[in-house]
Amino acid sequence: MLRDVSGINTSTALWYASRATGVVALLLMTAVLLLGLLVTRQGRLPGLPRFAVTGLHRNLSLIAVVFVVLHVLTAVADSYVNIPLTAAVVPLTSPYERLWLGLGAVSLDITIAVVVTSLLRRHLSRRLWRGVHLLAYASWPVAWVHSVFSSGDLRHGGLFVLAVACAVVVVIAVLWRLAAAGRDVPRAERVGNLMSALHHPMSALHHHRTPDATQNWAPERTGRP
Amino acid sequence: MTTATHGAPAEDTATSLPRLLPRSGQQPEDWHAHTARHGRLPYRDRPGDLVLDLSAAGLTGRGGAAFPAHRKLSAVLDAADKRRRPPVVIANGAESEPASDKDATLLWLAPHLVLDGLQLAAEAVGADAAILYTHADRRNDVGRRLRQAIAERVAVRVDRVPVRLAEAPPRFLSGQETALVGHLAGGPAIPTFMPPRITERGLAGAPTLVQNAETLAHVALIARHGPRWFRQVGTRAEPGSMLCTIRRADGTPRVAEIPLGMPLKSLIASPDGQSAGPDRAVLIGGYHGTWVSAADAVRLTLDNASLAAVGARVGAGILITPPPDRCGLIETAAAVRYLALESAGQCGPCLNGLPRIAAALTEIAVGRQRHQTLADLERWAGLVTGRGACHHPDGTARFVRSALVTFAAEIDLHRRGRCSGTSKKPFLPIPRDSARTEEDWM
Repeated sequence: MLRDVSGINTSTALWYASRATGVVALLLMTAVLLLGLLVTRQGRLPGLPRFAVTGLHRNLSLIAVVFVVLHVLTAVADSYVNIPLTAAVVPLTSPYERLWLGLGAVSLDITIAVVVTSLLRRHLSRRLWRGVHLLAYASWPVAWVHSVFSSGDLRHGGLFVLAVACAVVVVIAVLWRLAAAGRDVPRAERVGNLMSALHHPMSALHHHRTPDATQNWAPERTGRP
Repeated sequence: MTTATHGAPAEDTATSLPRLLPRSGQQPEDWHAHTARHGRLPYRDRPGDLVLDLSAAGLTGRGGAAFPAHRKLSAVLDAADKRRRPPVVIANGAESEPASDKDATLLWLAPHLVLDGLQLAAEAVGADAAILYTHADRRNDVGRRLRQAIAERVAVRVDRVPVRLAEAPPRFLSGQETALVGHLAGGPAIPTFMPPRITERGLAGAPTLVQNAETLAHVALIARHGPRWFRQVGTRAEPGSMLCTIRRADGTPRVAEIPLGMPLKSLIASPDGQSAGPDRAVLIGGYHGTWVSAADAVRLTLDNASLAAVGARVGAGILITPPPDRCGLIETAAAVRYLALESAGQCGPCLNGLPRIAAALTEIAVGRQRHQTLADLERWAGLVTGRGACHHPDGTARFVRSALVTFAAEIDLHRRGRCSGTSKKPFLPIPRDSARTEEDWM
């Protein structure tokens, strides 16, 4: 039995839990998206090998799913407003905040598809896996709009700053990703370019000035969603 | 090292070879000549039946990897059974190694033997489609010859599975199994990571059997004459014969059918009877192969058990003895430069490593090496090995390392600004064109 000390009691506990898990899920989803962008560029985090970035991306995404599930279940269990369980997965079926909760359902559906195809990745074609995985880029903004407009919590104060900060970071990261892709040398031209740089008449003499590229020799096994 | 157990081939070699190539010489065999020599196609009417014969024969892949043929067929049979999906069978005639000429020669002279093997392999695994994959313009317009051969077979209705002819792009890697499947699926001919293995999930997701063209020709003969006949030549561990491309100092390439276990001495000797001098070297296995000093080579036999003593492998049966007026370092540097340019550019170690290895080898070849060049080469060769989607970096590193060992004296000469080569004319065949765009891989 919770005492009514800080405004939390049995009738408001679920409501608070739903909001709190929702905020944490948004933060985790943001982190997962940023790590995913880093994985597609074979990027690294300080002190971590490349495969650890991929592992972090995968594990954080699974934790995020746990928080989304808690967020949904607490919202459904909360009797203050009537949200049927089906409304969590079928868009536009909630009597309460029909549109904004519908967006939450859309985002959840995409998340389920992305997680399931990733768990079954070994059994799927790369094209199918990648196609579904790319939907994550659509899922995030939909989840963000759902977060900000479903209730007033994220529209003022510290949580408002947090929501805007998440959006700004994601936009910057996506722009960085697109710019980096634009600088990519097409696969078929990579070796030729390197060869003409290394086999230039003078380069044999100035070879010692070329940086040691061995630290970039990890095979590019990772996916590029 | 020649040993009694691995060394001497069976006695009746002289009477039974060549098996694959027409004995008449250079005249291509049409359907009539083919059936006159080999008789009808011995269909078994039972899928899987042939696999037992191939297992008993001990036939291994003749594309270079020497993987047991029956195990590939079994894997495809199992996958087809488990997934209830008819497999695809592909004859791999894309002999992309520039120094090799044996598959092109076989397809030109005895195309029906390969096509027989393709049908029998298709029947053995229950395939519903067959593809013959080859460089169509490599030699004497072999593509036109193969289209004719397929048309001849359609006319006499001998084939139970329709055969499609597919052309390989002129890339070193285009014969690699996953690259081949990728290309036939409409993409570039670049290797992909396994799993899934193509025997499980290959072309269009079907279980896919890829066998070298020569391997299928052996299949066609084993189906006719049985495993015991096949084992009449070769060694106990490595039975049968194989087509070899022999390039000697003084002439054009010669394709010969050699029993496994044959002493190399007779193969690297010049036609005038002179063996390669002890200061010379033999390249065994082509550009993914191994340089061996002629002094070592004359004590070896043509089988993996013997060649393992010097770290070499039979591969696709390429034996090259450059003339004494050529420098082995210059020749190797040119070949490695070609190998680097043929990297698909998708795996970091291959993309970054091979051009640097090629550049360092060029430094040594032109006498501009710095004191750490050799150490760099050794380190890089180790760093690229085993880290690609395919074995291109591994094979290239093996080739380079063997050159560093075999031509150690020559490297010393070059360090002092000298070179034992007196002719600058390139000896190893190197294709001039390299890939510039994605189109070049299609």
